[in-house]
Amino acid sequence: MNNKAQLHTLEGLGAAVLMTLTILAITQSTMIVTPQNALAVDVQLEQMSSDALAVLDIASMASVQYNLTECIASWDMAEPTYPTGNLDNLDTALSYLLPGILYNVDLAYTKSGNLNVEKVIINGPPSTNAVVARRYVTLTNQTVNNMGGGWSLQDDELRVVEVRMTAWKV
Amino acid sequence: MESMRKNTKGQWIALSGLVISLILIGLAALANQAAIAGYHSSNAALEFPKENIRELNSHTRDNARIIKDLSFEINSTSNETIPFIFEQLFDNYSTQIQNLYASHGETADVSLVSINSTNGTFGIDDIDLIFVNITYNDGSTHYVSQPEIIEVR
Repeated sequence: MNNKAQLHTLEGLGAAVLMTLTILAITQSTMIVTPQNALAVDVQLEQMSSDALAVLDIASMASVQYNLTECIASWDMAEPTYPTGNLDNLDTALSYLLPGILYNVDLAYTKSGNLNVEKVIINGPPSTNAVVARRYVTLTNQTVNNMGGGWSLQDDELRVVEVRMTAWKV
Repeated sequence: MESMRKNTKGQWIALSGLVISLILIGLAALANQAAIAGYHSSNAALEFPKENIRELNSHTRDNARIIKDLSFEINSTSNETIPFIFEQLFDNYSTQIQNLYASHGETADVSLVSINSTNGTFGIDDIDLIFVNITYNDGSTHYVSQPEIIEVR
């Protein structure tokens, strides 16, 4: 029998071990790739949510029926009962701007020094990869009266309201 | 076939295996680096409060104009001066902003520095610029604009 190729055999074995280890390393690296994809989706979702609120806020009267300030001014101050929200103007506009995305909307404002957070649109419990987008609007008695809302503001009062949207993909 | 069996010169085959292995190791290292870079860039985009700062800035600008209009409305039915009313309303706005940002762990402060008038009087067409200091801090990002000059005419 030929016994002269031991070193070559060892080299071949070494190369095989290296290749096996490399394939293992690549397979394991998919664990790192997965959260990257999830975060990339979160970044995109957060941007889309912020953009949707910004578009509603700064849109001209010709492009939207009611802008964000008018939608918030029209709120009747009543708590909604799931699954129906009580801010239909805003819900309609958001569902058009965010197809395939679910969202809850809360309004936060201070009254007599106390922070109030009220739910106005409820679409269910957010998933674990939900993101939050915020936009601030300022209400005066005039804007509220124009929209027939339930905010009881004085003529010399302004109220800053945080529109807090929690968005998630299903 | 017999000659191949007796051939012990397999260096090229072994060397090829080694080269392929090294190439695969290089590719794996690159794939890992790309994945980690993607993770960090996505994480940085999520962590950096770009929208919060932009919103604080633009909302303050919008409010300066709202407050100016409201000041003249109030002035028409009261004895207070325009600068006094403007200051009161702006302080009230600043307090509300502080409370709202504090509710999600951020500090934001908008304070009125001065109201600029073209000719020293405070008619509705005379007030042209508002100087405001804006600061924002969420623990990792600190933003300051002192002063932010807002055109309100």
